[in-house]
Amino acid sequence: MSRGGGQAAVRVVPAGTTDAPAPVAGPVRVRISDLSKSYESDRGPVQALSGISLDIHDSEFLTVLGPSGCGKSTLLKCVAGLEPVTGGRILIDGKPVTRPPPDLGIVFQRDLLLDWRTNLDNVLISVEFLGLRKRDFVDRARQLLDLFGLAGYEDRYPWELSGGMRQRVAICRALVDNPGFLLMDEPFGALDAMTRDDLNLELQRIWLRDKKTALFITHSVPEAVFLSDRIIVMDRNPGRIAAEFVVDLPRPRTLSDRETAPFIRYSAEIRATITGMGILRNE
Amino acid sequence: MSSLAAGRRRSRFATDILPVILVLGGVVAAWQATVMAFRIPTFLLPSPVAVVTEFLSAPAFYLSNTGFTLTTTVAGFLFALVIGVALALLIVSSRIFDRVLFTLLSALHSVPKVALAPLLVIYLGTGMTQKVVIAAMIAVFTIVINTVVGLRSVDPEVLNMAHSKQASRLKILLKVQLPHALPNLFGALKAATTFTLIGAIVGEFVAGEQGLGYVILTAQGAFDTPRAFVAVVILGLVGTSLFHLLAFIERKVIPWHVSIRSERRR
Ligand SMILES: Nc1ncnc2c1ncn2[C@@H]1O[C@H](COP(=O)(O)OP(=O)(O)OP(=O)(O)O)[C@@H](O)[C@H]1O
Ligand SMILES: [Mg+2]
Repeated sequence: MSRGGGQAAVRVVPAGTTDAPAPVAGPVRVRISDLSKSYESDRGPVQALSGISLDIHDSEFLTVLGPSGCGKSTLLKCVAGLEPVTGGRILIDGKPVTRPPPDLGIVFQRDLLLDWRTNLDNVLISVEFLGLRKRDFVDRARQLLDLFGLAGYEDRYPWELSGGMRQRVAICRALVDNPGFLLMDEPFGALDAMTRDDLNLELQRIWLRDKKTALFITHSVPEAVFLSDRIIVMDRNPGRIAAEFVVDLPRPRTLSDRETAPFIRYSAEIRATITGMGILRNE
Repeated sequence: MSSLAAGRRRSRFATDILPVILVLGGVVAAWQATVMAFRIPTFLLPSPVAVVTEFLSAPAFYLSNTGFTLTTTVAGFLFALVIGVALALLIVSSRIFDRVLFTLLSALHSVPKVALAPLLVIYLGTGMTQKVVIAAMIAVFTIVINTVVGLRSVDPEVLNMAHSKQASRLKILLKVQLPHALPNLFGALKAATTFTLIGAIVGEFVAGEQGLGYVILTAQGAFDTPRAFVAVVILGLVGTSLFHLLAFIERKVIPWHVSIRSERRR
């Protein structure tokens, strides 16, 4: 893995695994080289990202972990072609990103539901934007809402839902046209632990079944270990990659796997690295 | 369940409608009492009874003049709505239109439209057209400004969401920006009902031989104060009705908006 900018990035392989090659080595879908991004603000430019180099492989589940404000959302938007980069470049399937690629599904950090549409119509707006025939997707939209525990809420409005329910509608909206490339910005941040477990399982199932390429953002170390093939830890000021972990655990993973020794070893290792770098405090 | 709903309806009557009736009734009663107690001559201040009597003496006359003013007002309103929304769409969809039209409109807006009314008689004559144009002109600016603000104030992250699904500009305009602008548009339209009514009356003041404004003008010439009062009271009723009609349509069209939802909960 080449890494520009001379950052002291650590590649950590937990004790017990041999010098591991990445378990997924499909073709590279996204190649980020020496990416930097600064925002213009009234008080001069804000350096949000610096020297980011990273490959995302086809069908890989990659998670970005990092403290608030380290540029995770910015990285996601640059990859999505929604924010112009200020340095370096991003290639998707070999082509420079200038606009959102087709085949894309984004779960944003906020749910962004439209108040004037029912929940079902909020899901289906993706289809309308894409210019596909809406009625071909009504059944799938209903199935998705059902899958995410929202059966019976199809004809209600977003403002009649709890924050966690709204976020689940937003997930359905991202998934309704079955995109192959998923970008998720803390999609489960607003959920209680039980629902979160449930949706982690569901996400793994969907990802395994459809072989999607996924870039996932979270604050939760166990969630990252549970879902990911690979985990990137970011540090801030400016946002950069601080460490990388390969999670070589068999799939499908179950919730109780989280109490097994290898799983705990990964979590502990990641947490120790993060704490050691002063990104997070231990107490 | 149904008794609960009935209870809510009754309390709605008690909290919303009853106070209005009481206040209005109180004002009318006080007005009548004042006129009688101080023996105010009718040509200075006619009593409510005198006003009603005057109306009943020639209902057809008053209704036909009301019809004329109402037609002018509604036509002016519809013109302002169509032209205002069209201009707003042009302004948000092109930078050139934004510069040119906005400059032009602000210049036009800073001229008191009432001052243009006599001029319009030269171009458009003394018929209804001139009055409709004045009414529309007075209302159109508010509609443009508010609609532009509504169309532009969509959360940029929502636009990102749309772009992530390859949405075209037209789709974003129709499916996101326009619905988002509806609450602003309705705010402007409610104000526009008053503006267009003012425009219609100004048009009648300047020229013409029909309408409630014309009735007031001729009544004043003849010192026929009760006649002027009937026209003024009808104008008040027309203005209020138009406003509430708009508020009613608003509740039907954007029941999802926070302002309506919180109103319902009160
Ligand atoms: N549109 C913007 N304009 C200016 N600065 C911005 C903008 N968006 C983000 N930033 C800045 O860039 C930095 C990274 O922000 P970003 O939203 O990517 O962080 P994050 O890692 O997603 O944080 P969180 O975990 O809290 O969501 C922050 O310092 C933020 O202030
Ligand atoms: Mg973020």
